[in-house]
Amino acid sequence: MAEVNYICKRTVVSTKPVQPGKSHPLSVLDRLVEPSRHVMVVYYYRTDRSRERLGEVTQKLREGLAEVLTYFPPVTGRLVRTESRGSGEGGWSVKCNDAGVRMVEARAKGSVEDWLRNVDWEKEKRLIHWEEMYHKPYFWSTFYVQLTEFEGGGYAIGLSCSHLLSDPICATVLIKAWADVTLRGKMTSPPLFHQLPAHRPGSRTPNKDPFINLCSQRPTSTNQSATSSASVHGKHKTISLSFSDQMVRSCVASAQAHAGGPSPSPFEALAGLIWAVVSKIKGRRDGLVGLTMGLDIRKLLGLDDGFFGNCMVYSQIQPNSEENCLLAAAMAIREEKAKFEKEKVMDLIEWLEDNDGSKPTQQTLACSDLLCLNLESIDPRWAIFEDGSSPIQTSLYIEPTCDRGQFLVLPSPSEDGPLSRTVMIKLPRDEADKLLEDDLILQFAPTVLMGV
Amino acid sequence: MIKHLKLVVQYVERHFVMLVLILSINVGALRFSTDEILALWTSLLITDPIQILSICLVLFLIATIYLMSRPRTIYLVDHACFKPPFTCRVPFSTFMEHSRLILREAPDSVEFQMRLLGRSGLGEETCLPPAIHYIPPTPTLEAARREAEMVISSALDSLFKQTGLKAKDIDILIVNCSLFSPTPSLSAMVVNKYKLRSNIKSFNLSGMGCSAGLISISLAQDLLEVHSNSNAVVVSTEIITPNYYQGKDKDKLLPNCLFRMGGAAILLSNRWSDRWRAKYRLVHVVRTHRGSDNEAYKCVFEEQDGEGKVGISLSKDLMKIAGSALERNITTLGPLVLPVSEQVMFVLNMIGRKFLKRQWNAYMPNFKRAFEHFCIHAGGRAVIDVLQKRLDLSDEHVEASRMTLHRFGNTSSSSLWYELSYIEAKGRMKKGDRVWQIAFGSGFKCNSAVWKCNRRIKTTITNSPWSDCIDRYPIDVPKVAIL
Repeated sequence: MAEVNYICKRTVVSTKPVQPGKSHPLSVLDRLVEPSRHVMVVYYYRTDRSRERLGEVTQKLREGLAEVLTYFPPVTGRLVRTESRGSGEGGWSVKCNDAGVRMVEARAKGSVEDWLRNVDWEKEKRLIHWEEMYHKPYFWSTFYVQLTEFEGGGYAIGLSCSHLLSDPICATVLIKAWADVTLRGKMTSPPLFHQLPAHRPGSRTPNKDPFINLCSQRPTSTNQSATSSASVHGKHKTISLSFSDQMVRSCVASAQAHAGGPSPSPFEALAGLIWAVVSKIKGRRDGLVGLTMGLDIRKLLGLDDGFFGNCMVYSQIQPNSEENCLLAAAMAIREEKAKFEKEKVMDLIEWLEDNDGSKPTQQTLACSDLLCLNLESIDPRWAIFEDGSSPIQTSLYIEPTCDRGQFLVLPSPSEDGPLSRTVMIKLPRDEADKLLEDDLILQFAPTVLMGV
Repeated sequence: MIKHLKLVVQYVERHFVMLVLILSINVGALRFSTDEILALWTSLLITDPIQILSICLVLFLIATIYLMSRPRTIYLVDHACFKPPFTCRVPFSTFMEHSRLILREAPDSVEFQMRLLGRSGLGEETCLPPAIHYIPPTPTLEAARREAEMVISSALDSLFKQTGLKAKDIDILIVNCSLFSPTPSLSAMVVNKYKLRSNIKSFNLSGMGCSAGLISISLAQDLLEVHSNSNAVVVSTEIITPNYYQGKDKDKLLPNCLFRMGGAAILLSNRWSDRWRAKYRLVHVVRTHRGSDNEAYKCVFEEQDGEGKVGISLSKDLMKIAGSALERNITTLGPLVLPVSEQVMFVLNMIGRKFLKRQWNAYMPNFKRAFEHFCIHAGGRAVIDVLQKRLDLSDEHVEASRMTLHRFGNTSSSSLWYELSYIEAKGRMKKGDRVWQIAFGSGFKCNSAVWKCNRRIKTTITNSPWSDCIDRYPIDVPKVAIL
């Protein structure tokens, strides 16, 4: 039974001071996020305990973190309210006051391989540190890092951050930059802090497009106070499935409408699979439950890899199909994805700016839906901190969880092939257990990394 | 007219001996004719060999007695300062956040500390030791030892590299650290780490405050007087880890805002062979102790607060006491360094005020005529302001002190060495320049050291703690920083 001992908590600051008076305004997509939402990531690595003594890698990583924070002033800043345009509170902005990020150092018994053998959400929570927003957010760190070294070999990096500043892809960009600086002293994709691209003036659509209507909402939970306790009291269970390159290809083939037709992407196929199975488990044998899909629009908007901030748009899919099968699900997702064009997305951003997304009257999606996020655009060349040592496993969470459940599709850290994927699913306990026994899932023989 | 007279008097004072010599030669040449001078000379010549020998012997004896009775020249070969790692940096915002998290129940103490920090004159690059970065701070004995080792080793390694000194060649070792005094002592730690000789004369000075650095120099001077052909290594530092005040008494919060990590190592020598490579020559050390006065004794006092937490309380009269200690010190130092005219003015002024009961202002001698550079202990902005005003110094004179306070904070006894490094890094130190180091410390003490630059100092900054930032300085430090 692995035990985690907390050694200390401290603040890590950048090596160079931030220019005074700097601030980072949040974009409309940032402001669309509910303040209580946070992203949590865990990366696991192997080390050779005979070559590196305990504490050495923590020190090296801490020094690397201090170096990389010099390039991320908003990460070491603090949230402040800007002046409100009307009644009520103003929106959030980040004052780059050089305060630093909190870091917790811990030790765990056993080796990282032992830990991963029977890991679940409850155990992983101990590798991540998070603090809810303080009454005075000016003293509240928006980023938290935990470094846990395993006495038997290996270490885990837990990063948690407020979703207001960073979506999951952005969090992985930060970790990659940290790894680059620690290993090589420079970054492959330096961060960029700028506004979202804007339309040329004079081309605004006066009418509210139904597309915009859908996407201007944000996922939330029905009962605010109950959700965090729901996760804490184990109402949900996490399952992590790893699909090999070959299995993903076979899933894609199954999701193809007819031979010679357009081939679905791995995300469409896998998301369709999970959607169909979960719908069946939830009792919908003749159709699919409502799904809210979150897509990364960085590539669509032509943004650089190093763009910092939220860049995901959510849209609700209410399928018309009476069938509950992989094919129907994949097709519904495909149709919805096709609606995302650059012009329309920019219209949406414009509409949000005009309507000031921070107003409390913002529409929220009812959480009678399943939430699905496409995180395939996470850089497959994962974060490498030490020579030849890529992460052996990664986990990603977005808390608080939607009552109905959520699943994320990520690239797989294994060297299997370009199409291998990891799917992290969080469902109510009883449904999660049924998922692993489902025939359709078993047909594609995923490796169960978590949730046995 | 008066200005020109002043200049003439100053010129005469500086070149007094030479002028007298020229004058006497001229007088001699005028008074006596050439023949008379020659007759005088031949009458002095003695042909008897025994008489020649005995006169030579007497002359030799006089010369020997004269040379031996002179104090030895103490040279400062070189000095090195500790450069804190950037991972120990403490920006204002982090400091304030930590205060808030630690002093949750005392928000007005936190506000007070914030105001102190804003007026302190410190910058955003000062460093605290790792143990103080924790929430809450963990000032264990082990952490304090680690800090001591990090600071002292780094300074000594730099010193050895710069001077080529071998550890086995150190004859005298003096370590001063006021608030951390473990057993075995820090000097024993140095002996252990560097494997110094078993017959080393090692000393450890603790509890003597921020002026202990010059006390160590004074001790080294006395030892080098007794031991010929020796060298002495002086290590000045203050270990912050065990002394971070975690309570809420307002009179004890200021040291938290000012004291930062720092340390210096200095190599002194009385060896003839070092006279060419030494940077400075020690001219005077003047020590003044005001401890006999109760108010002065208690003005910097370590005590426990109502909750049993230990902190250093600073009295509100600190500046007044510092001012009077300074006056005592310069009363002793003045006659040793000031030109005659300044001394005359000072004495006349004192006679007038004390004996003739005239209502004159006290005359402050113009020390700018005695020194080219000033290193005022960077105790805080208030100390530098008071001294600048009292000694009528320009902004450039106190620049080294202000910039050291900004970049490194109050590093206690080692701050004088950071200031000297600043002057050297700026290329302002020329051969023959005189430097005055003034340090204040608990007790209450005011100590001064006077150095004379012995050789040309090249402006290479590779070994300096200012190496990566000297080009950014001087900067205009705002009176009140906005937090």
